[in-house]
Amino acid sequence: MMRTVEVLIVIIIITGAFMISSSFAVLPWPRQVSPINLRRLALTTMETLDTNHDLSRAGFDLSSQTWRDLQVALSASLPPNVLYNLTVYNVNSEASGTTLYAPLKSISNAADLGVTSDASSYLVASSNVTFDVTPEKIGERWGGGTLYILNCSDANGWWITGYTAQSLAEDVSRLLSSYFVKTITVQNTAQLGQILNGQALQGEIVQNAVIINTCGEAVPIPTAYCTTPYSNDSYAYYCYFLGQKVNQYNWTWASTVGYPFYYVSNTGSFPSDQNDWGIFGMTCVGAAGLNGFLRGINAEDYVKDDGWLTLGSPNPSSVMVQISSSAQDNANYYGIYPAQNQTATRALPSTVQSRYNLTATALVFDPADAGGKTWLAGATFVHRNSGGEIRGRLIPIGLTRSTDIRITALAVLSYYQPRLYRSEYSAYNTSRLMVLQLGLVGGV
Amino acid sequence: MTSAAIDHMVSITIFLAAILFFMNLFGQTIQTAVIYQQHRAVAVKCSDLLDTMLLSPGSPENWSVREDPIVGFGLQDPEFTQYQLSPFSLMRLTPSNGPPVYYPKTDMTYYNLTMDFGQSLYVPYTQIVNYSIASRLLGINGTYGFSLTVTPIVDVTVTPNVQPNLLTFSISAVGPGFPLAHAEVSYCFLTVDAQGQYPDYEIEYGNVTTDATGFASVVFSGFDASQVSHAFLAYAHLQGLTGMGYYMHELENENSVVPFVSNFETGEVLLAHSWDVHGGDNPALVHYNATFVVLNEDFRLGNMTLQNETMVGRLTHGLGNPYDCIIINTYTPGILIVTYRITGHQTGVVMMPWGINAMAFSVTFGGNLQNQEWVATDMRQVTVNNMAYQAKLALWSTQGYQVNG
Repeated sequence: MMRTVEVLIVIIIITGAFMISSSFAVLPWPRQVSPINLRRLALTTMETLDTNHDLSRAGFDLSSQTWRDLQVALSASLPPNVLYNLTVYNVNSEASGTTLYAPLKSISNAADLGVTSDASSYLVASSNVTFDVTPEKIGERWGGGTLYILNCSDANGWWITGYTAQSLAEDVSRLLSSYFVKTITVQNTAQLGQILNGQALQGEIVQNAVIINTCGEAVPIPTAYCTTPYSNDSYAYYCYFLGQKVNQYNWTWASTVGYPFYYVSNTGSFPSDQNDWGIFGMTCVGAAGLNGFLRGINAEDYVKDDGWLTLGSPNPSSVMVQISSSAQDNANYYGIYPAQNQTATRALPSTVQSRYNLTATALVFDPADAGGKTWLAGATFVHRNSGGEIRGRLIPIGLTRSTDIRITALAVLSYYQPRLYRSEYSAYNTSRLMVLQLGLVGGV
Repeated sequence: MTSAAIDHMVSITIFLAAILFFMNLFGQTIQTAVIYQQHRAVAVKCSDLLDTMLLSPGSPENWSVREDPIVGFGLQDPEFTQYQLSPFSLMRLTPSNGPPVYYPKTDMTYYNLTMDFGQSLYVPYTQIVNYSIASRLLGINGTYGFSLTVTPIVDVTVTPNVQPNLLTFSISAVGPGFPLAHAEVSYCFLTVDAQGQYPDYEIEYGNVTTDATGFASVVFSGFDASQVSHAFLAYAHLQGLTGMGYYMHELENENSVVPFVSNFETGEVLLAHSWDVHGGDNPALVHYNATFVVLNEDFRLGNMTLQNETMVGRLTHGLGNPYDCIIINTYTPGILIVTYRITGHQTGVVMMPWGINAMAFSVTFGGNLQNQEWVATDMRQVTVNNMAYQAKLALWSTQGYQVNG
């Protein structure tokens, strides 16, 4: 009998254990097992109501009629078992940077949304406000800030097939002018002669300027420089002179495509000369042009040097280059998106750095190895003098023709890194936050 | 000694019975919890799958207007972001409503999405994405079944009230939860002009406002509805919600024109004689006049010039009499309006949407959810070319559960 009593006691204990465990093991409500995704439903409802910007307008028009219509539309678009509360908040920023949300108006179809409601927020902008971006001006911090675009009407270009120097100049101006204190379009070679002499064209600062040569492999030459000594060695001395000026004025010289300084162009001085491809008004300098420029920027004595520097015979003819990760970041920041992969046929070897006291910075393309050398298809070569002071820069875009002017623009911006000041969405009265909270009839 | 043995036997018997009983009780609780977990997993999958369908344009991204085979399923409009669906992707899903139609002159079967006489969409079987393909592309073939329903949020119904020399249209605009009160209703009243060999039409526009119950009415006095074929299109709009409804009245429906979508990429549409499709007793020559209209922002219908120079023609039934072909050379959603005439005032009008939203068609796509053990549902509000739709997905497991009891 005693054993039976013990078993009964055991049964009582197990029954108690079952009841206690059952009371803790509360199964979820069916609605919790298969819930409607109220957060998504709220977001998509607001997006639907804002299809024609009606919700945005309602955010800034708190009149009773507008919000009556909004409530009708909201009620009509949601299933009948869904409860809602739509609240619009004003978005303010304090001086400390803290964003404050102040409720302005609210509509609801229930006093209580229950315990399992969910909400989505939706930022609407005022139609009276334009959100814009103000770029920092290059040169504001260290002086200069002039952009010269060589748009010489009396000079022709090469390797810019499909474009004209004028159309490229317009594109450069559109892409870069907002980042400079002053943008000067150099209309002819005579004006180029002026700035080579250090004379401002429109009161701008000549020192520390950026010069973009839109003529591709050709470089404009003023008529006054079409004589000796500048014409020595097929105008290689003129390129040497340009290098000296870049050093003297601490310019940044950008060559947009191909072999830099390969031709000089002046339609008035070389009316019967052509580049062997039917483009008159230019004469070939050859490889000596770039060598001369580099000697000039490095403050060396002039010596004619015909040695071929870039890709192309006797070096490998071409390499495929890929846009660098830092340039990609800059592309995203400035909104300039050239193709990821490019063919380089005139990239400079990395060896020019040690030879001419240059440092390749702000690489647009990752270095590529070929023929036992490392090739830099797009970078800013910064020259430093013996005292470590920066004296001139060269941006040679060594890609094959035809030119993509966006790469030059990206190279310039990658080097100077001007900041972009964007309008604050939290500025007073420009944005409002709509919060739609949804619940289900029944509360849970 | 004997009593002790009996005591042991009784106690062990009771103990074993109790153990079995409690094992069953605990087992039921655990089994129920497992089933709940499985149901919960289906519900989560349902929400994810719905977003996958609605937030991806598929691959190729403009598959709905290309002949290339689809390799990724998605319904988002590739030109937009968020929950904006392509009106043409929805046209290429196998509709669950309406039996297929075989057209002998092309020797093809067409899937049929018909609302009423003259309001139909026939899409060739070869250009349709069926449930099996969609399941495979979504990676749920053999594991889950689904049914996707895309319906306009605002249901606009137009009901005529015909009296001698007086035609009244009652318009009702309601959403799933509430009538669309105080909404503006822009309407187009289209009347077929029986004059001339190829019947043209005239359009009269107007606006009314719904009352607090979502009703409005439009009265055309002096109009004899029994003598003129006509169509009435109503667009109700309020705070971003737009809905559409229509009514058509034809004096002749035994012989009519049936438009078939032939090719989405080229925009080719075939115009067939109705006798060749549906049969009938008194086949007759049909003169037709086809126009393509798009809805402008002011809710007026704008004519779009099609590739064909002439959009009029004649259709004869039977073998040896081919169908006509027109090209809709645009991917802007609109309506193909075909007015036709047999003799005298025996006229009619048929319409075909080019883009599912153009005539507020709804789409039900997928498997049959009847008799499934447990079905999870989720929904999103979407827009199809600015018209508000609700997308609802029902999902169930096809692998089965050990259902308790």
